[in-house]
Amino acid sequence: MALLEIKNLQKDFSGLRVLFGIDLAIEEGERHAIIGPNGAGKSTLFNLITGKYTPSQGKIFFKGHDITGLLPHRILHSGIARSFQITNIFRSMTVFENMRNAVLSKRRIPYNIFSSLSRVNGIIEETERMMSLVGLLEKRNDLAGELAHGHQRALEIGLTMAMDPELILLDEPTAGMSKSETLEMVWLIEKVTERKTLIIVEHDMDVVFRLATRITVIYYGKVLVSGPPEEIRNDTRVKDAYLGQERVMDAVRA
Amino acid sequence: MKNLGHRQIAAIALATFLLLMAPQLLKVTQIRMLNEIAYFSLFAVSFNLLFGYAGLLSFGHAAYFGLGAYTTAILLKRMAGTPLLLSILLGGMAGAIGGAIIGFFCVRRKGSYFVLLTLAFNQLLWAVAWKWRDLTRGDDGIGGFVPKNVDLGILTLHMASTETMYYVSCAIVIILLLVAWYLMKTPFGNTIRTVKVNEERAAFLGYNINFSKMLIFTVASFFAGIAGSLFAVFQDFVSPNVMDLKMSTEVALMTVLGGTGSFLGPVLGAAIFVYLSDWISSLWDRWEFIMGVLFIILVLYLHQGAIGLIPKKIRSSFKN
Repeated sequence: MALLEIKNLQKDFSGLRVLFGIDLAIEEGERHAIIGPNGAGKSTLFNLITGKYTPSQGKIFFKGHDITGLLPHRILHSGIARSFQITNIFRSMTVFENMRNAVLSKRRIPYNIFSSLSRVNGIIEETERMMSLVGLLEKRNDLAGELAHGHQRALEIGLTMAMDPELILLDEPTAGMSKSETLEMVWLIEKVTERKTLIIVEHDMDVVFRLATRITVIYYGKVLVSGPPEEIRNDTRVKDAYLGQERVMDAVRA
Repeated sequence: MKNLGHRQIAAIALATFLLLMAPQLLKVTQIRMLNEIAYFSLFAVSFNLLFGYAGLLSFGHAAYFGLGAYTTAILLKRMAGTPLLLSILLGGMAGAIGGAIIGFFCVRRKGSYFVLLTLAFNQLLWAVAWKWRDLTRGDDGIGGFVPKNVDLGILTLHMASTETMYYVSCAIVIILLLVAWYLMKTPFGNTIRTVKVNEERAAFLGYNINFSKMLIFTVASFFAGIAGSLFAVFQDFVSPNVMDLKMSTEVALMTVLGGTGSFLGPVLGAAIFVYLSDWISSLWDRWEFIMGVLFIILVLYLHQGAIGLIPKKIRSSFKN
């Protein structure tokens, strides 16, 4: 049984059809990259899996359980955590407070009223461990909103990883990063997602081919092809999909 | 309490001393005013749990104040012999139950829709208080329900005495303010702030957004209900005015006047509001006009509220 199984997933936004029936199975331990031209429906797919949107049709199964249409917090606690393409952190809180929010939720004690926040057993240690995992321990008292872009992205990943998920969804983790920042991020992702199941949406092909053990190409709301990296690299349909877009872009520029 | 500094201990000791001695030092009218400040402080702090901590602007917070006031009044009137403290506690529970039910619906909408829903429910309850004469006596109101003497076992309270009322209100309000302050220090309080700062991220970190909002709505309504009960006991009279729109706006005014960014801001706001409205209304019948102008000036030029006028050094020494 696949860890995540998506069956005939469709999404309409009041008439605008974005996904035309996606079928996909993610095996345990897989590092699965989802690529495709802009507007192919990659982010929509993520938003459907994690409960931001409800599918118009189709089913999503996680560990054999139907999670279609559940609220985000229910899906999270079933074992799926995600990061966001546009950095989504608690900007007016410190790095420590950000990470503690994740740890408190993972421990399932967000409504505890019987102990003061600073005295909950092991919370500080676990928060510090997560901060050091993503290299932010020295920044613990900095406001998240005032961190450098690269550090904010690291915090974003750190929040996701602090939930200790079985399935991790990363939405363009290297968006807006320089070459060297990207390298560091890839190294970080390899480190924190070791032996976990990963789905990643990414535009940087170097990142994709370095991280992925399987790649799915989505094109206009459908799965164009899915397979190991070597197969995808040499697939003519994939080249056409991307080159086709480039030709359009050339025409626009001309 | 181990980590209190010398200055804080001194300040707490001084405040306790002043509160205890106040009836000896002040005139009866002034003690009455302090009493009003006490229950309005609790009311304003409960409003700020929603507005300041959870980012939820309720324009119907008087509904829960009113539920508390009517519950206490009706209990004491119809079931003479109900212990006074129990009737106050049940007033709080009535506020909480009303808050849980109304909150359940309101938190499903955001922004101005949320505000309008709170307002609509407030008006609904007000209409019930106005029309259900068998229970509430409508605009005649309910009066004369506070027992003359309350036997607490170790001592007997003479409720007609302003001084006694003052001590009862102060004790209850201070205990509940400490409870509210402590709640905001727990993981629960942290959840409320977290949901306010970034609702979407909180949801995707496993926080149940609607449930969290409903909980704080319920908790705030409990405190508002107790404040309303204290109001009822102090005035020994309840009419639909306790839950009208004016009451809902006044509590918002007090809170913003004092400052929403700190726990004690609303207490200061309630004190200023009660004092100013008493003073200005003795000078001019149209005192609400001056209060309105004052409010506008404060919102425009003093974002932190009146508490922002206290030097930072002093304020930070009270932070814990």
